[in-house]
Amino acid sequence: MFNHMLQKITGRSKSSGNTAKKRLQFALVYDKLEINDSTLTSLQNDIVEVISKYFEIDTEGIQLELQRDNDVSALVFNTPIINIKRGVV
Amino acid sequence: MEARTIVITSGKGGVGKTTATASIGAALAIEGNRVVVIDMDIGLRNLDVVLGLENRIVFNVVDLANERCKVSQAAIRDRRIENLFLIPASQSDNKDVLTTASVERMVALLKKEFDYIIIDSPAGIERGFENSIAAADESIVICTPDVSSIRDADRVIGLLYANSITPKIIVNRIVPQMVASGDMLSHEDILDVLSVELAGLVPMDEQVVISTNTGMPLVMQNGSLAGMAFRRIAKRLNGEKDIPVKVPEYKTGMWNRISKRFSKKK
Repeated sequence: MFNHMLQKITGRSKSSGNTAKKRLQFALVYDKLEINDSTLTSLQNDIVEVISKYFEIDTEGIQLELQRDNDVSALVFNTPIINIKRGVV
Repeated sequence: MEARTIVITSGKGGVGKTTATASIGAALAIEGNRVVVIDMDIGLRNLDVVLGLENRIVFNVVDLANERCKVSQAAIRDRRIENLFLIPASQSDNKDVLTTASVERMVALLKKEFDYIIIDSPAGIERGFENSIAAADESIVICTPDVSSIRDADRVIGLLYANSITPKIIVNRIVPQMVASGDMLSHEDILDVLSVELAGLVPMDEQVVISTNTGMPLVMQNGSLAGMAFRRIAKRLNGEKDIPVKVPEYKTGMWNRISKRFSKKK
């Protein structure tokens, strides 16, 4: 208790409880954005299927990833286009 | 009254699930309900020793779920608390021996005879968890004020919602003086992070160890702070009004009072 007071007096008041809260909030957001490989693969298959209706794409060159920064997260899908399919739909 | 099935669960192990189950079950029985507590941690039986009923086991939850015995044979009657019964876990089987269908059937059977069915779920989110929540109407998630237990609680809360069960949370093992000094997450912090309804707050209490040592239910220990907290939680569960959640307090001496005033000014 005396230590605690000393800390307050000297201004070195860094409570570990606050650190815990911040770390937790970050971890929980991060946890929720985690996606497993099989989900990602089936997502990729679905996207390819839809895009293939309109474009001829090089399925070898496809990249699908979840990007995370401190503030934003984004799903990034990159594909080389070989040809546009004319006259569909 | 329609029987209520409440599953007590947590993400992380060792946060006090079994103690909570025993205490809430005993307290609900003291309030005059017919209560059965079920140990669903197949292979790691514990609720029986916490309740001091380990010497009286003949049949277990696997026997009952798989129709090898009657409810009256599997449910052990507590001799100290009227209307409190225990259905122990099996110690020799593994978790795959039960199916959600067999658990649902068993609970339907128990609902005819009891007011409350309190299920002690195993830690984690494997098969045993699925079985435990299969027949539950309500759930209480236990966590302690530490980062890992809260993170795991969040995961379990998500799974409960996904199964259409709205969870409430009990924060266990609160050390009021550490919360006051800012070195322990307060229950407000935890509710901020988890966004879930609060069932109650339980302080750290040495009596829990003593109660487990002797097999005497915590809620029967005079002066146990944790025991009293569980009594209040049970009363609230039981629908009693005017039992507000009590925030554990540090019995203040002179130094603490000065220090408290000091930290408030900041």
